[in-house]
Parts: sequence; C-alpha cells; structure tokens
Amino acid sequence: MFEIDIFTKEGFKDSRGEHVLSDILGIGIKGVKKVDYSPFYIINGDINKSEAKTIASELLSDKITEGFKVGSGKQEKKSKNPIIEVLYKKGVTDTVSESVAKAIKDLGITKDVKVKTGHKYYLHGNASQDVLNKIAIKLLANTLVQEYKIK
Amino acid sequence: MKNKTSCRTIEILNLSDKELVDLSTKNVLSLSLDEMKSVQSYFRKLKRNPTDVEIETIAQTWSEHCKHKTLTGIIEYTEEEYSKKTKRTYNNLLKETVFKTAMESNKKWCLSVFKDNAGVIEFDAKNGVAFKVETHNHPSALEPYGGAATGIGGVVRDILGVGLGARPLANTDVFCFGNPDTKDSQVPEGMHHPKRIAKGVVAGVRDYGNRMGIPTVNGAVYFDDGYIANPLVYCGTMGIIPKNKIDKKVNSGDLILVVGGRTGRDGIHGATFSSTYLDQESDISAVQIGNPIVEKKVLDTMLKARDLNLYRAVTDCGAGGLSSAIGELGEKTGAVVYLDKVPLKYDGLVPWEIWISEAQERMVFAVPPKNKKRIVELFKKENVEAVFVGEFTKDKKLTLKYNGHVVASMDMSFLHDGIPKPKRPAVCKIKEEKVQKPIKMTSADLSKTLKSALSDLNVCSKEWIIRQYDYEVQGQTIVKPLQGTDIEVSGPGDASVIFPYTSVNGTKKGVVLSNGLNPSYGKINTYKMASSAIEESLRNAVAVGADVEKMSLLDNFCWGNPNNPEILGSLVRAANACYDMSKAFDIPFISGKDSLHNEYSIGGKKYSIPPALLISAMSVIENAANTVTMPLKNGGNKIFILGVTRNEIAGSVLAKIKNIKDGVVPVVYPKESKEVMKRIYKAINNGLIESCHDCSEGGLAVAISEMAFAGDKGVKVDIDAIRTKGKLRVAEILFSESNGRFIVEVIPENGSKFREIFKGCVFAEVGCVTEDKYVIFESTKNKIKVKEKSRKLLKAWRNTISW
Repeated sequence: MFEIDIFTKEGFKDSRGEHVLSDILGIGIKGVKKVDYSPFYIINGDINKSEAKTIASELLSDKITEGFKVGSGKQEKKSKNPIIEVLYKKGVTDTVSESVAKAIKDLGITKDVKVKTGHKYYLHGNASQDVLNKIAIKLLANTLVQEYKIK
Repeated sequence: MKNKTSCRTIEILNLSDKELVDLSTKNVLSLSLDEMKSVQSYFRKLKRNPTDVEIETIAQTWSEHCKHKTLTGIIEYTEEEYSKKTKRTYNNLLKETVFKTAMESNKKWCLSVFKDNAGVIEFDAKNGVAFKVETHNHPSALEPYGGAATGIGGVVRDILGVGLGARPLANTDVFCFGNPDTKDSQVPEGMHHPKRIAKGVVAGVRDYGNRMGIPTVNGAVYFDDGYIANPLVYCGTMGIIPKNKIDKKVNSGDLILVVGGRTGRDGIHGATFSSTYLDQESDISAVQIGNPIVEKKVLDTMLKARDLNLYRAVTDCGAGGLSSAIGELGEKTGAVVYLDKVPLKYDGLVPWEIWISEAQERMVFAVPPKNKKRIVELFKKENVEAVFVGEFTKDKKLTLKYNGHVVASMDMSFLHDGIPKPKRPAVCKIKEEKVQKPIKMTSADLSKTLKSALSDLNVCSKEWIIRQYDYEVQGQTIVKPLQGTDIEVSGPGDASVIFPYTSVNGTKKGVVLSNGLNPSYGKINTYKMASSAIEESLRNAVAVGADVEKMSLLDNFCWGNPNNPEILGSLVRAANACYDMSKAFDIPFISGKDSLHNEYSIGGKKYSIPPALLISAMSVIENAANTVTMPLKNGGNKIFILGVTRNEIAGSVLAKIKNIKDGVVPVVYPKESKEVMKRIYKAINNGLIESCHDCSEGGLAVAISEMAFAGDKGVKVDIDAIRTKGKLRVAEILFSESNGRFIVEVIPENGSKFREIFKGCVFAEVGCVTEDKYVIFESTKNKIKVKEKSRKLLKAWRNTISW
C-alpha cells in the first residue's frame, strides 16, 4: 500500500487552504493562523515504489505548482501541528478514485489497484481538541458520507 | 411463484388498516392508507402476497416525485375574500391551470408539451429547442455538493432523454438558502450552516457543469431564514434536437439496454424520500454522488447512436431508477427484466435494491434486435458500459427475474393507473392589503437606503458564484450573466442568449433564457407572487431582445406540506395565476415540475418553507445579433422609463430594509405589459435601443444605478418626470417594485422614432446619461437630490458576497 500526498510548492498560492482559513475565521474560531491543504490518495495493489512515484508525478500532481510525497501510509512520527484527515465512508461512491484507477491503467501500469481519495488539512496556530472537532464537523467533513481523523 | 432467499415475500393480505400504515412507514414506502389498501386488494385478487420487489416498485411508481399525485389528485378548494366564500373542485389541478393554455392555444411551434422529459419548441425548420428545470432540494440539504451536482446531472439527462435525445447547450441554476450570516447557535441541530450549504451547492453545480462542458448561463439566488434547514436547488438545462428525433416509440420485441454508470446502493428511496419531511435521521443511502465524466461520455456516444438510428426510444434513470425508467418505456407493451444482468458497482445488492437504486449517469434505451451488435460496439469503442438487461414484451405485464426466478409479476395497468386519486381540502383566506402610511425620507435617507438596497442579499452581486461557473464553454454564449466595461466593473444581465451556430450550421437565430422568482411576495399573496414571477421572467428575456410572441414558460413549484389545507390553498392560488397570466399573455407553459413536502422539523416542531415558484422562460429570436445588454453606453443619451410606477411596496426590498408592514404587493397588468414588450422587440430590431434593463427588486433606483455603474457612467434622473399612478412620495417612486417597467437608453437622434414606436403606451423621458460618473435622482417639486458616485454604488453592490 502506498499513500501519495500532494502539496502546493513554496511560493505558489494554496487557495483551498486559504479558503478553509477564511471559513474557520468566518465561524468565529480564533487562533488558527494558517491552513495548508493537501489531497491524498491511498493506492492498494501489487505496485512497487517506483510505479507509485510515476503515478504521483505523472498523474496526480502538477509539476510546476505541486510536489508529492510517497509514503507507506503507516503512522509516521506525530507532527507538531494538528492534521485533519477526511475520507469517504465505506460504501459511498468515490468517483475520483474510479477515475484514478482507470488513469493508472492508461499510464501503462496494468496491475489491478484499488484507490481511495482523501483530504488533509494542516492547521497552524492554536486549536484545542474541541475546536478541531468543530472545524472538522462544521467545515471539512460531511459526516453523513465522510469520516475524519485528527492526527 | 418461487422465491430465492434474496427476495422476501411481504405479508399484506391479512393486515389491518393500522398494520398497513405501519408497513408503509417502516419500509419508507411513503404510501397512504388508501394506496396501501389498493395494493392489498390487487394482491387479494391475485391470491398471493407481494414480494419486496413488487412493493418497492409500486412505491416508486406511485411516489409524489413520479406521479405528482397531489397536484393531479382531487382538490376541494375554498377561497375566502372579505368573508365571501367561493368553492371549486379540481380533478387535476395541473391540467386545469398550468397546462391549460398550451392545450387551448395549440400553437404550431410548440412541438412537445408536458408529455416527455422536457418541453420542446421550434427553433427553425429542422430543429427544436428543449428546456427543463428540476429541483434537488432534499439531497442538497444533506450533502450540498453531491446533491447539487447530481441535480445538474439529472436535468442534463432529462435533456438527453427527451425524444431520442437533445444536445445540451446551457445550464441554469436558481437557489434559495437561509441567511448566510445566521449565527452558528441558531442553526438547527444536525443541519448544515446555510453558508456551508450555499458554498457546497455552488461547488457541486460548478464541478458537474464545468466538467461536462456545458455553460451555466443564467440563475438567481434568494436568501430567507425560511430556507435554513431546507434549501431549494433548481437546476435547468436547455438543448437542441432535430425535429425528426422528437418522437419515440417502443415496439414489442425491442431490447432493453442500460448504458452508463453502474448500479450501487446510492440514492435508494430518493423518490419516496422526497415525499417525506427532513429530519436528523434522514439516511445515508439517500445520498447520490455524481460522476460528470461518465455522463459526458454517455452524451457524446448516445448522440452518435441517435444519428445512426440505432434505437427507438430512450429515457433517463432519475428518481426510482430502473423501476421508473423501464416502467415508463414499457407502459404500453410490458417488459421482462433480468436483474442479475444489471452491472453492479459491488456485490451484495438484493433484487429490489438493484431495481430502484438511483445510481447516477444511467440511461435506458429500447433497441430493435437488428441493431443489437452495432449499438453495443459503438458504446464499447468509447469505453461506455452498455448491457442488455431484458426486452419489451406484448403481455402488458412487468416481469422481473433474478437468477432464473420470477421475483415480480404485475400488470402495467395496475402499476400506472391503479393508484387511487387522493382527495385533499385546500383553503385560502386572501389577506387584505392596504396602502402603507406615506413614506417620508430625506435626501440623505434616500442615499443610505439606495446603498442598503444595492447591498441587500437578494439584490447584491452574485459574481462570487457566477465566476466559478464556466459560462463561455462551447463558445455560444453571446449575452452573458455579468455585463460591464471590464472585470471589476459589471452589472447583472437580465437574461442570457445562446447562439447555437456550432450545432446549426449557418443559423442567425438565438435562444434567450431567463427566470423570475420572488418568494417574499408569496408570504403575503401567492397569486401575485406567481404572476409577478411570470412577468419578471418575461421582462428579463424581453430586456435583452426576446420576442414575446415566441416565448414559452416552465413552472417549478416548491411548497410545504400539502396535507395542510392552507398551504395547499396557497398553491392552488399560484396555479390559478399561472393559468390567468399565460392566457392573458398568450404564452404557454411547456413543462414543469413540483417539489412538495418541503418541510423540516426542529425540536419536534415542523416548519414549512416559504412557498417558491420559479418561472423559467425560453424564447427563440430571429437574429441573435439583435440583442442588447444593460450597461449604459454613452454620455448624452436619453433615458426613458417604460411603464407605470404604482404605490406597490409590500414584499419589496424597501419594506424589508425599513421594516414596513403594510402595503400592496405588485399586481401584473398583462395587457399593458405585453404591448410594451412587443414594441421593445420591434425597437431593438430597428436598432433604436442602446441598453435596456428590467426593473424588479429594489425598484427604479436600483435598476438605474446598476445600469450606470455597469457602464462606468453617470446618470441624471428627474424624479418628477416619472409616470406614476396616483400621488406617490419620492421613496415610493424610487423603490416601488411595480411590474411592467423597463429602463431604456436611446441616442438623441433616435428619440422621435423611438417615441413613435411606443405611441399609446405609458412612458416618459426622465433624464440622460452623463460622463461625470455621478448617479443623480432629483425632484425639484419635493426638494430632493440624491447624488452618489457610481463607483461607490458599485462597491455597495459588489461587496456583500465575497466568500
């Protein structure tokens, strides 16, 4: 299993992150200074790391404005800023993942893969656990179809 | 009948009335006791209990969403005005009101009216244009992004499913939301904040429309606390279709082909769910997720198949899924379907789930057996999944099989005509409207009010929304939603014009799309709300150059719970207005849709939404080049106001800002208005009009200011020259929302020709365009002078929504 994180390169505008920050301020939460947004893809299947890198660079990221990180998806050491991760619940149609799986085949990687997509929000500043939960529920995850984790 | 474990028999033959009701509630069937009893007696005749597949099929087919049973049922209506009661019984409200003008006038250019997935009018000798507007309220309340996206996806499929398929050219979208500035603590438990709903809905429409390559060209947004837990999401699509592809017919022996997305558990019970009210427990399977890429592939490929004459009929899988689509196509023939052949997203679906799933992006075709190979090859070549799942028969029965076992077998006639007609009482007490106390305001007060009106949520710029939509894709949008001198300086266009030159070679013609909506009038008087919405949609279209003689309308009723006689009564009044106006203007309705039961509960108490009637108008014009926009063009040009200003303040933006309780809601005078509209078309086609703007929310002051700041010009208006009915105060003249008015810019040399055309109508020259960029309203009689920089007014208008 590989987890591919896409992030905006330094010096480019992360407009989704900026929007989330303005939404957080909009619901009256103070203390959060900055939000970095990063979409991520969990790819399950019999692929190797170099194939995962090809998928990340050729398919999932924009070479000019975005960078990527290919990880094993295991819990890495805890970052000092909180991260809110949002994923679709099981059984909910994830159309982006369907397109990614098809596109991986189009790249010439013919092994069968299963893809899940998600969103990561890196929050800078001060926020208690309660506030993080509120941000997740009120702004980032629709708990009817999505679940979230605070890391 | 043999059953496998995957299909259950439902005990119904021996149930008491109470048990029947419980069964309906427990299984989310949304069937009334009378309906359950009809089901019971049908199966008593068959001497067996129904299967779960059969019960679910009946519930889908008889749902409010598919059958419109309230509005086509019996309504016993009582109207009370000045304690005088009149009674009338409607056997089918829609047929007796909204549809009636189309039936009576029988216009040759109306090609398909109220019988297919969309209404179709003539475009030219060879083509028609189809237009449909749908609602997707409940799904959007729960999952704004997915709900709105699938709303657009659904209405695009309606256009694909009209006749043998039309090519979508443009989308429209109209929303009603709760106040986006609502405090978090005032949002009902378990519901999303209105701003989150608004953002999610806009993103959903944006992503689906943009990805399918269909421009979103026209819309409106209305904010009111009444929509806080039940937003309204109207999605529309217009498309073009060759005249010889408008008819469809299913023959016995034709094969049933399912094309597009796979079937999953998505949106199960969407159709019956729309007949119930929202609460926190509304469940996950009602949520649908859209995939525009799949639908785009279906669109492209099916139009190829259409032009090769590979199929005889098509319809979309909307509410009720395969059950509704195949049920409709096979109504006259009968059908047998092998449910195990339907391609699934994942295992584990039981037969009834496959049959009623509302998974998106699916279309159903009737294919003559000789084309079996060719059509599948065509779809396969474009990577579109297409699978035969059964055939249309001769036996007029619906037979469903699963792994060789019959799981449903019912008569089509019972399914489609077996529903008992419900009977509902409706009452309307017409509120007396009296003129408010004279509204006295100083010049400074008027200035302030003008700025408040421009920045009011229901008047202000919707640029933040509009700019997210691609309204240019396909390159045929020649009159656009925002109009002005540059990207920072723009005003609200009245209507959009599509010039379909890529679909129709060498054409000069255009299609005008507009809308009208004003729920704030409906809180006082739904008859006037409906008539005003109709006129507003016509005025918007006429203001850009539409021909009022070749216009068609769509209705979309979104109402509260029709079991409440007063709520149903207010709907009957609105429906009556639809008939009266379409008759008086001689403009037919060609299609429509209703969404009832827009009701939500907070803390156990149920609330119905403020009634909302969206009217969408479509007009075909001879020359798409003969259209105008609303920004003022040149200093020195004359400003005319066409129409009469009356003392009509109730429901207006002024009444809201100043908290004025009394007043009269604007009335429509069709004879006056139509005459003005006809002549505007003539004047535009004679090149006599430089700019034209409809006058609605916020009245003359708002409309004239918008024209000035959109053109980055100034304007000087003599209030005393404005034609009024009776004696009005300055504030009333500037902010009254009387119908039937347009503001027009004319170059001085054309003044006399212009006056000649409008001879006999009420109009007046009231001022001129200036280059000094000041908006001035002056009355020497009342010693009033309102003077504001047009850039400042632009700022007031632009800054409210910039999320």
